[in-house]
Amino acid sequence: MAKTLLGMAPNCKKVTSFLAEYVEGTLPEKLRQQFDQHIGMCKCCGPYFEQYRATIGMIKEGKEVAIPSELVEHTMSFLRKNADFKH
Amino acid sequence: MTETARGHIDKTSLEPDLEALLAGDEKAFELLVAQESPRLFRIIHRILGDEEESKNILQETFLQAFQRMHTFRRESKFTTWLYAIGINLARGSLRKSKRMTSLDDADVERLQPSFSKGMFVESPQSWDPLKLAERTDRHKFLHQAIDKLPEDYKAIVILRDIEEHSTEEVAKMLNITGGAVRVRLHRARVALRTMLNTHFQYQSQSSK
Repeated sequence: MAKTLLGMAPNCKKVTSFLAEYVEGTLPEKLRQQFDQHIGMCKCCGPYFEQYRATIGMIKEGKEVAIPSELVEHTMSFLRKNADFKH
Repeated sequence: MTETARGHIDKTSLEPDLEALLAGDEKAFELLVAQESPRLFRIIHRILGDEEESKNILQETFLQAFQRMHTFRRESKFTTWLYAIGINLARGSLRKSKRMTSLDDADVERLQPSFSKGMFVESPQSWDPLKLAERTDRHKFLHQAIDKLPEDYKAIVILRDIEEHSTEEVAKMLNITGGAVRVRLHRARVALRTMLNTHFQYQSQSSK
């Protein structure tokens, strides 16, 4: 899909549509260079891209989830009562 | 089982013993529960946000896996199939409970940027680095925003960006296409960025 943009000057709408591919590094090289150039020059896309990337960074920080210490044993107790295991 | 050069068992490379699981072997299930419970519990808990209900859903997930083993078609990794059961149960529980997400698809659409002739209608304002540096606040606002997403968007953000499953795995877990995963992930990130925008803008700009 991104290949259809090759040869077309990227504008803000096109660049923001393909930010996920841009961040993941999966854009064709020539298109990535055009995006780099646009993001470097554009007063809107520059901060927008930084905020998109910052948002991903914050999501990836995750939220700690404490694993209950008895989780496996409770689950196995439940299964021993309810599942028809073969011994 | 795989053993490292030092002779320790590498638990990350353990594959479930499918034949033993299919035969209903308790030890094989015990190993499966020990291996997969922590990660699966985290996913379920991230969807539900409630520890007790997450424990119940985890138990029910393994029970359903035991009862439905014969339906596993080996078209995906076994753990992908197992996680799909857990995610479906968690989403079902979320729908039944009052912990419903507050946004719908139309809201997500409204949170996407608007363009005129290919240009932004509103110029994005810079974010305040001092506010960004407040880790506790940052977490609180972000996770409040994630909780507001429609449940399929929320599940994709959890599975792709937090738990880092591949697009293909997530597509199989949620029974949607890889393209749909990629599109919804991007739209979810953009919606989250817009929700965070009001909080992270410089005060002088947001109060004008």
